[in-house]
Amino acid sequence: MILFEHEGKELLKSAGINIPRGELLKSEKDKISISFPLVLKAQVLSGKRALRGGIVMVENKDSLSNSLKKIFNLKTFGEPVQAVLAEEKIPYKKSFYLSFSYDTNFRSAVLSWSHEGGTGVEERKVNIIPFDIRKIVFPKDMPFPVEILELLVKIFLENDCLLLEINPLVSFLDKTGKEKWCALDAKVNLDDTAGGRHKNWQYSPRNSGKVSEREIAAKKIDEGDHRGTAGSSFVDLEGDIAILASGGGASLVAMDTLLSLGGKPANYTEYSGNPPREKVLRLTEIVLSKPNLKGLWIIGAVANFTDIYETLSGVIEGIRSIEKKTGKKFDFPIIIRRGGPREKEAFSMLKEVKDLNIKFSGREISIAESAKIVMEETKRYAKFSK
Amino acid sequence: MILLPKGAKIIGQGLTGSEGRICLPTMLQYGTKVVAGVTPGKGGQEVFGVPIFNSVKEAIETVGEVHGSVQFVPPLFVLAATKEAIEAGIKFILIGAEKVPVKDAAQIISLARETETTIVGPSSVGLINPGRSLKIGGIGGSEPERVYAEGEVAVISKSGGMTSEISLHLKNNSLGVSFALGIGGERLVGSDFADWLIALEKDPETRVSVIFGELGGTYEERVAECVKTGKIKKPVIAFIAGEFASILPSGIQFGHAGAIIEAGRGDPKEKRRILKEAGVLVAEKFDDIANLVKKALK
Repeated sequence: MILFEHEGKELLKSAGINIPRGELLKSEKDKISISFPLVLKAQVLSGKRALRGGIVMVENKDSLSNSLKKIFNLKTFGEPVQAVLAEEKIPYKKSFYLSFSYDTNFRSAVLSWSHEGGTGVEERKVNIIPFDIRKIVFPKDMPFPVEILELLVKIFLENDCLLLEINPLVSFLDKTGKEKWCALDAKVNLDDTAGGRHKNWQYSPRNSGKVSEREIAAKKIDEGDHRGTAGSSFVDLEGDIAILASGGGASLVAMDTLLSLGGKPANYTEYSGNPPREKVLRLTEIVLSKPNLKGLWIIGAVANFTDIYETLSGVIEGIRSIEKKTGKKFDFPIIIRRGGPREKEAFSMLKEVKDLNIKFSGREISIAESAKIVMEETKRYAKFSK
Repeated sequence: MILLPKGAKIIGQGLTGSEGRICLPTMLQYGTKVVAGVTPGKGGQEVFGVPIFNSVKEAIETVGEVHGSVQFVPPLFVLAATKEAIEAGIKFILIGAEKVPVKDAAQIISLARETETTIVGPSSVGLINPGRSLKIGGIGGSEPERVYAEGEVAVISKSGGMTSEISLHLKNNSLGVSFALGIGGERLVGSDFADWLIALEKDPETRVSVIFGELGGTYEERVAECVKTGKIKKPVIAFIAGEFASILPSGIQFGHAGAIIEAGRGDPKEKRRILKEAGVLVAEKFDDIANLVKKALK
């Protein structure tokens, strides 16, 4: 889960990292008590905010309301601007990019940093320093105090972050001439799989405008039920062939194959790890909630332990449930290719379903062959339903 | 990386749980010697004739030294279970759980490096060696022989389902498997493709390997590097899935936790290009894999 800047900064502040004095505005009418000059920052999850007009400097009171109005109405992010962070402007001497994350090259945590933070860090040389989270040692010749690094790595680990990025981290001299450090931005990505040990993660759902209702509904299926997974990855697509794939790898193969044949999937999703039939039922309802579908493809590899009878029963029950709710019968082709535990029971169950246009097969045909059947059947259906 | 011998003795951590109870009889039936189970508080019980102990240490004290452990432990308990097994001297641990936090995986990897322990997973579907009657974990379900025929091809995959799918495709094309393993689709895995391909250089039963990769991470790229530098000499056939993700914005996770394109890394097309350049035979279509294997075996 990616945090908004202001949420990330709260984490930093509570751990002892300086952040600019700021106020969170929920509308353009909210009052501000911070003195000018100040910075207005759109609270969105997308990156490159400065380039898209999401970060605005305000010198005095006269231009404030105009700037606020503009920033709340920005359409450049593909998600609405629901909050704006107003912060005091910090004049600084030095700035750095700094982040903690995990890296597949080293298979460990890494500290990445570069001189001069801010937008465009992608083009600068970034130093990547792998470290062992069980025995943390950083090189001595770093351009920032080791205490800052220690605080940040503590935040990174204690909060199960996948990413903790400060861009920029700046330093300035205070009134007494002492160097002070401050985090002007914070990007935090929390590891959702660790949610079970962080009861304090009470963040609002991340339904930025990019995410559809269907995607939100699909992601809810796994909440509070650890038996297998269904719908955790769900992406709405433009096409008209509904997809109910099974398995992380097989779902990718299926999508690649269908697209290479010119098929247009209506969604990406998958269930795996032997989920109970109720989960598959709910996912089926969501997948079939899109209008004007030309077919449904239920596709997966030969399963190792996913119960094919249970999961395919969930699919059929999901179809029945939607038919009942809408009063409409599904007449489009339903192509199934599955195999694995209790496949025989599953296939005899499917044989008994006479009022749906089901074409099922097992391991005797490959995923690619099944994709070809999907193409033929959906084309034929589209022709006849015109 | 340890290649377990025929007759390897295995213990099962969390064997009394639902997944353990499903997998145990399928492992025993295949010929795997599961000599003990460990579940704290369930010591003294028996599951399918396998004695259960309260701790790994206790189990080893009773049944003697073992070759490895297979875990059926819930994700948030995996780190503690792995520490316990390593402290008891176990050198091979296969972690089945999905959704193990990345921080825990990083700690496990660090511990494993320090103690020279072989870790498979998290989220590994298991390991199967038809020639050695060895099946560890859920791989192949209750009828593994319907998918896994004995042969000369190693299959190493990020995806459990596709481990079986590739092996079935090989079987349907009169080929067989010497060794098949799911490394898991996580961001950080205990052992990656290259670790196993290097280990299999010394495996007399393996002549060719097939890897199933996906978008995300850099484990496929490491294979290319090791082929280039000569650490991997036996032929490798690669199939890389997830190309369709390139039509979508980056930062979306697909199925597996590691299947995500971020910071410009993980594009399947790029992986294919790098693998090809290194001399790996890249299958453009899934159904081409067997032909490439046959070509490499000639």
